[in-house]
Amino acid sequence: MLSLAPPLVVASVLAAEVTPQQEVEGRLMCYCGCSDLTVRVCTCGTADAIRAEIAGRLSDGESPGQVVASFVARHGAQIRSAPLKSGFDLVAWVTPFVALILAGSALVVLVRRWGKARGIPVTASGSPGAEAAGARTPEERRALERVRREMREKR
Amino acid sequence: MADFGTLCLFLALAASGWAVIASLNGWRARLGELVLSAERAVYATWALVLLSVLSLEYCIFTDQFGLEYVASYSNRALPKIYKFTALWGGQAGSLLFWELILISYASLIVLTNRRRNRSLLPLVVTTLAFVSTFFLGLVNFMARPFVRLAFSPEDGSGLNPQLQNPFMAIHPPCLYLGYVGLTLPFAFAIAALATGRLDDTWFRTTRRWTILSWFFLGTGILLGGWWAYVELGWGGYWAWDPVENASLIPWLTCTAFLHSVMIEERKKMLRVWNLALVIMSFLLAILGTFITRSGVISSVHSFTKSDIGPVFAGFLGLSTLVSVGLLLYRLPDLKGEHRLDSFVSRESTFLFNNLLLVGAAFAVLWGTLFPILSEAVRGVKITVGPPFFNEVMVPIAFALVTLAGICPVIAWRRASPRKLVEKIQIPFWALLGGVVALLLRGVRDVYALVSFGLAVFVIATTVMEFVWGARSRQKVTGQRFGGALLSLVDRNKRRYGGFTVHLGFILIIIGVTGSSAFRQEATASLKRGESFSVGRYRMLFEDMVSRDSPNAEFMGARLSIFDGERGVGTLVPGQNFYKAGQNPSTEVAIHYTLREDLYTILTGFDPHEGRATLKAYLNPLINWIWIGGGVLILGAWFAMLPDLRDRRRDAEARLLEVESRAA
Repeated sequence: MLSLAPPLVVASVLAAEVTPQQEVEGRLMCYCGCSDLTVRVCTCGTADAIRAEIAGRLSDGESPGQVVASFVARHGAQIRSAPLKSGFDLVAWVTPFVALILAGSALVVLVRRWGKARGIPVTASGSPGAEAAGARTPEERRALERVRREMREKR
Repeated sequence: MADFGTLCLFLALAASGWAVIASLNGWRARLGELVLSAERAVYATWALVLLSVLSLEYCIFTDQFGLEYVASYSNRALPKIYKFTALWGGQAGSLLFWELILISYASLIVLTNRRRNRSLLPLVVTTLAFVSTFFLGLVNFMARPFVRLAFSPEDGSGLNPQLQNPFMAIHPPCLYLGYVGLTLPFAFAIAALATGRLDDTWFRTTRRWTILSWFFLGTGILLGGWWAYVELGWGGYWAWDPVENASLIPWLTCTAFLHSVMIEERKKMLRVWNLALVIMSFLLAILGTFITRSGVISSVHSFTKSDIGPVFAGFLGLSTLVSVGLLLYRLPDLKGEHRLDSFVSRESTFLFNNLLLVGAAFAVLWGTLFPILSEAVRGVKITVGPPFFNEVMVPIAFALVTLAGICPVIAWRRASPRKLVEKIQIPFWALLGGVVALLLRGVRDVYALVSFGLAVFVIATTVMEFVWGARSRQKVTGQRFGGALLSLVDRNKRRYGGFTVHLGFILIIIGVTGSSAFRQEATASLKRGESFSVGRYRMLFEDMVSRDSPNAEFMGARLSIFDGERGVGTLVPGQNFYKAGQNPSTEVAIHYTLREDLYTILTGFDPHEGRATLKAYLNPLINWIWIGGGVLILGAWFAMLPDLRDRRRDAEARLLEVESRAA
C-alpha cells in the first residue's frame, strides 16, 4: 500500500476539467515549424497567437468543432493533431486493435494446440525418435557426464 | 589534420571492406589465416576510425572554421563540453560517431571470442564488417565530416542552443550504444542461420550484449525525456515525435526478445520467433536512423533533409532481403518441440507479453508511418500526434502491466488455478483497497484509477515474490530473513534483476499517470510585485535579472515561491540569447519535490510596461518517472551479472568446444 502513498497525497488535487479552449488547443498542432507539439503545450509566439484566436472565436459563440474546422479550412488537414475517426482516417485507429485481436486469437489457438501436443519431437528429417535439431549429441552428453562425475569425485 | 582525418576514413573503409571479403572467403574455404586477417582488419578499422574522430575533435577544439562541419556546429565561445558534443551535433559527425561505436563493439566481439564460438565468428565478422563498411561508405562519400569551405569564416554558427545541455552529452551516446548494440545479436543470428549452427550458442553468447543494448536504448530514451522536460520548456517529456518513436519501437521488440528467449532456453521453443525478433530489432534500428536522417517524416529531431535517405532505404531493403531469406531457408531446421504443459503457465504469459510488446511496437510504427500512407493513397497530408498514440497505447500498457503483475505468481510449466487464486488474493485486495482509497479522495478519472490500481497489484505481487522466496530459503538454510533474501537474490540475479526492472517500470507508470491526469497550469502577465498561483503554490514576481557570458546573455524573471504562507525558495525562469546568432532558447526553472514539480517558464517580457508573461505547470508525481528509470537501470545491471547457473552453462559450453576441437 506504500506504493499508493504518492497518488493518495496527490489525489487531493483533483484532475482538472478540460475547458473548450483547452480541448481545441489539444486538437490542433502548432504550425511554427520548431516543434511537433499541440497548440496546448507549445510555448512559441505562434502558439500564443493561435490560442488568442481560439479564445476570440469561442467567445464569439463558435463551438470547438467549428473553431477546429476553420483552422483546417485554412491550413489543411495536417493541422489536426490526430486523424479523424471516420473515412480513410479510421483505418489508422482500428488497424492496431484489429491486428492485436487477430494475432491474439491465433496465439490462443496455437497455445491450446501446443498444450495438447504430446510425445515425440519432430526433427528436421521428420523422423520421430531422433534428436531435435540443436540439442546435444550423444558424444557431447557423454563428455559432459564424465566431467560432472570427475568434478563430484574431486569434491 | 583534416586531410589526415580524411585519409584515415578512406583507409578504414578499405580495411572494413577487406574484413568482409576475408572473413566470408575464409569461412567458405576454411582458411583460418584469412579469418584471422579479417579479425585484424576489424582492429585496424577501429584504430583508423578512432584517429578520424580524434582529428575531427581536434579541428573543433582548435576552431578550424575552414571546415564546413566545424563552422556549422561550433563557435569560439562554445564551452568545451559542447565542443566535445558537437561531434554528434550534425549529420556527418553523428554518422562517424555511430561508426566508432559499431567498430568498437565489433572489436570487443572479436577480442572476447578469440577462443570460443570459432565456428560462428567468421560470419559474425562478415556481418559486422558489412554494416561498418556501409556507414564508412556514407562518411566517405555522402556525409563527409572534413569538407572544406571556399573561405574560412572568423567564427562559427555554434551549436543549436537546445543541444547545449549536459544531458545532450549523454543522451545521444546512450541511444547510439543501444541502437548500434542491436547489430551484435543480429550478426550472431545471421551467422547461426548461415552456418546452420542453430543451437542456443548464438543467443547465449549475445545475451548480455542484448541486455546492454536494451539498457542503453532505454536509458537514452529516459534521458531524452528528461532533456525534453528541462530544456524544451513545454512542461512535458514525451511528444510522440517520429524520432522519439523510432527509438521506442526497437526497444519494445528487444524487450519482447529478452522475455521470449527464456522460453527457448527452457523449452527449446520459439526458435524462429526469437530469430525474427532479433532481426526485427536490428532492422527497426536502421529504420529509425532512416527516419531521423532522411527527412521523409518531419520532426524537430531530424537532421537536415539530405540525399542519404535513399541509400539508407537501399541498405534496409538489402538487409531485410538477406535476413528474411536466410530465415526462410533454415525454417525446416528450426522446428522445435512445440509443447506447452498448460495454458495457465508462465510460458503462456510470456507469449501474451510478446504479443502485447510487439503489438505496441506495431501500433507506434503504424502511427508514425500513417501520414506517409495517407499521402500516398489519397494525396492528403495528415498528422498523427499525441492524441492518437495516447488513446491507442494506454489499453496496451494496461494489459502489459497486468501481465507484469501475474507473471511472478504463475508457475513455469503448469500453474494450479487454486494456487494462483491463493497467490493473487493479497495483491487483488490491495488493488481494490487502493482504488477505493482514491475514490474516497475524490479521484474520478477512470484511467488514473485503473493505472494506480494495477500499479499496486504489480508492486504487491513482485514484493511478495521476494518475500516468499526469502522465507523458503530461510526454512532451508536457517539464515535470517535479510541474509536469506540477499543470498536468494545473489543466486538468481537474472530473475530478481528482472523483477526489479518491473518495479522500475511501474514507478514510471505512476509518474506518467500522475503528471498526465492531475496536471494543472496557469498563465499570467505580471508587473513587479504581482503574483499568480497554480495549485498550492503562489509565485511573486520580484524583478528581472540578467547575466552575461561569452556564449550567451541570459534574461530571467526572479520569482519568490510560496506554499501557502511558507516561502520555499526562488525560481528564475528566463531565456538565453546566444551571441552566435541562433534563436533564443527557453531556460525553465523547476521546484522539485517527490510529490510534484512546480515548473515555471518566462514566455515574454515587455520592457515598456515592465510586464513579464509567465506560465506555470504543476506536474504531480513526475519525479517518479526518473526514480523509476533509476530502479529500472539498477535492475538491468543486476540482471546482466553472471550467477551460478550462467557460470555453469558457460563452463559447459567452453568445455564442449574444447572437446570437439580435440576430437
